[in-house]
Amino acid sequence: MSIDEIKKELYDNVLSGDFEITKELAQKAIKEGINPLEAINTCLIPAIELVGEKFGKREYFLPDLMRSANAMKSALSLFEEEIHKSGIERKSLGKIIIGTVKGDIHEIGKSIVAALLSARGFDVTDLGIDVDAESFINKLIEKDADILAMSALLPITMPYQGVVIEELKKKGLRNKVKVMVGGAPVTQEHADKIGADGYADNAVDAVKLAEKLMTK
Amino acid sequence: MPIRGLKGGMLKFLSDDDLKAIHIATVEILSEIGVKMEYEPALEIFKDFGAKVDFKNKVVKIGEDLLRKGLSSAPSTFTLYGKTEDTDIKVDPQRVYTIGGSSALNVFDLEGKYRPAVFDDLIKFTILLNQMENLHIMHAIVIPSDIEEYGVDRLLFAGTFPYTTRNYYSQSQTGADGVIEQLKMAAVFQGSEDAVRQRPMFTEVVCMVSPLKHEKVNSEVIIECAKNNIPIYVEVDAMPGGTTPAPIAGCLVEQNANVLAGIVLAQLVKPGTPCIYSIASGLMDMTSGGYSGAAPETNLLHCCTAQVAHYYNLPFQGGTGIDAKISDAQAGYERAMQVLSNALAGTNFVHLSFGMMEMMMLASYEQVVIDNEIMGATYRMLKGVEVDDFSLSVDLLRKTGHGGHFLNYKETSEYVRKNNWIPKLTNRDPWNTWQMMGAKSMSELAREEAKRILSKYSEPVISKEQTEEILKMAKAYHKKAQEKLKKLENK
Repeated sequence: MSIDEIKKELYDNVLSGDFEITKELAQKAIKEGINPLEAINTCLIPAIELVGEKFGKREYFLPDLMRSANAMKSALSLFEEEIHKSGIERKSLGKIIIGTVKGDIHEIGKSIVAALLSARGFDVTDLGIDVDAESFINKLIEKDADILAMSALLPITMPYQGVVIEELKKKGLRNKVKVMVGGAPVTQEHADKIGADGYADNAVDAVKLAEKLMTK
Repeated sequence: MPIRGLKGGMLKFLSDDDLKAIHIATVEILSEIGVKMEYEPALEIFKDFGAKVDFKNKVVKIGEDLLRKGLSSAPSTFTLYGKTEDTDIKVDPQRVYTIGGSSALNVFDLEGKYRPAVFDDLIKFTILLNQMENLHIMHAIVIPSDIEEYGVDRLLFAGTFPYTTRNYYSQSQTGADGVIEQLKMAAVFQGSEDAVRQRPMFTEVVCMVSPLKHEKVNSEVIIECAKNNIPIYVEVDAMPGGTTPAPIAGCLVEQNANVLAGIVLAQLVKPGTPCIYSIASGLMDMTSGGYSGAAPETNLLHCCTAQVAHYYNLPFQGGTGIDAKISDAQAGYERAMQVLSNALAGTNFVHLSFGMMEMMMLASYEQVVIDNEIMGATYRMLKGVEVDDFSLSVDLLRKTGHGGHFLNYKETSEYVRKNNWIPKLTNRDPWNTWQMMGAKSMSELAREEAKRILSKYSEPVISKEQTEEILKMAKAYHKKAQEKLKKLENK
């Protein structure tokens, strides 16, 4: 397989979401001496952008989006390792800590957002479910993260997003991090009320929001 | 006289072989994968009855023998008590009843405004719903935005229980303490806690998480209810494609394993505890990840789950909110398809079937009245067709012969009075008459009717003193729950 063929296959497999094949292709590409930065910019990113576009047009559905995001991630992590080895630092779009808040064990929405964020090129740390303020904050400090993303599916756990923000203030960290919130019952009013920096209605908009918050 | 509902169950999508296959798959999942239960005492109970329990990972594996033992004591018939004998309900796996809406955050009010729900909405909705003749079980339809969330169920109790004659479908967000405190509030009306245990006028719901997970609060509530003879809706809210496999059959297996594990727990604590096999599952809309309660796939899933529950001789709660935002054509078609298919499938409790819209986020006053109308038409369908000498009417046909009409006969008058459904909101006038009558849409008529009812009724159905006492208790319990939450947060 020529380098051009590998590149085409990489693009096609991110598009079709075959993440195991994508990973093998990325390994093959590295062995063939492909420029990892070029592979990211000319294969992975255009493919994932097209996936997002197709999702918007309802040609692709959520499972397609998730699978493509996984394919993207599997190749991206291998290429990034190569870039790191060569001594160049490829700057991630930003570091994000994400989790579902304490008392809430609903996982799926948060996981979709996390997958799309990392596919977009954010450095995402997913703390999972039932995450308390202390765990969020410790991880924020440890990773020196740019964004804190909190999910809540239950009306009863929504206020905890505000509790975490209050804790950030108490620790003097509120200005060092952007906070975004989401979850089915969460609204812009709720986000405003608890003093979050942003709210998104769905996973695709959450990625756009994260990009916007990074430029602020 | 208690209510004995009409019988459903004529609509079947699954064959007997399909049901057996679902059962076998469920046994494999329960015995080999098991269910995660976060509450240690629940694990202990299962261990005592010989289940394989992995305490480290908090997983219970339920073998076929234990499953059978648990299910053998789960009653297929029992009574849900209202405040008067004629609001008691005789439950069995055939009869079809309805349950009102639950836990909406917003309301579409009588001025046509969309806004957050407040405590006063809860009372007004309950009063309105209580006047709907096709509603059998009362839920708290909104979660008021003017109350702190944690422990809000105590105030939902105070805003609903005193205002309805129907059995009250409650919930406890905080665990066993919620059940006990609600029992104490019911005792204000019923005379004593023992009287409540004898004839519980409220039930509890527990909502398990898919796939295969019972939160601490779920097991706590199940155990406390079983101890106190409070009937339990053991519910799972699956989203096929998201939290369960996408195929309906795979979703049925997950739901079944999840719900049956909860029912078995209740039976092990106290054999004979009334349990209702319950779902509020909804299709995951794959264009957004959102919940769709009114998708045709959701209706199919609910109809099939009725068959699965009935395979175990358990009463079944299905049905859920619709997706429309206003009382438009979408609302009408969604609600009608949903309640009709569920009723025909023999869903014993058609749940959230009054006023619930916008994927469980919105309660609408006018839609409550419209849904009562749709349910009336649905019940007429359920009543079905009698075939006997009277209805075959051969003698009448002979008497009338060729031409002529049947309007003169006493039989016609009797039959019509007994069988035909007389609509209240549905308009069957021709255009000109309809114009002369103001050319009103169904939603306008429904809003007027809701306003009329609320101008006529405003009092609780129990005494003012008892209502005030329950509210006072609820406020104190809620405050206690809030203090507990603060302590937990500061830990």
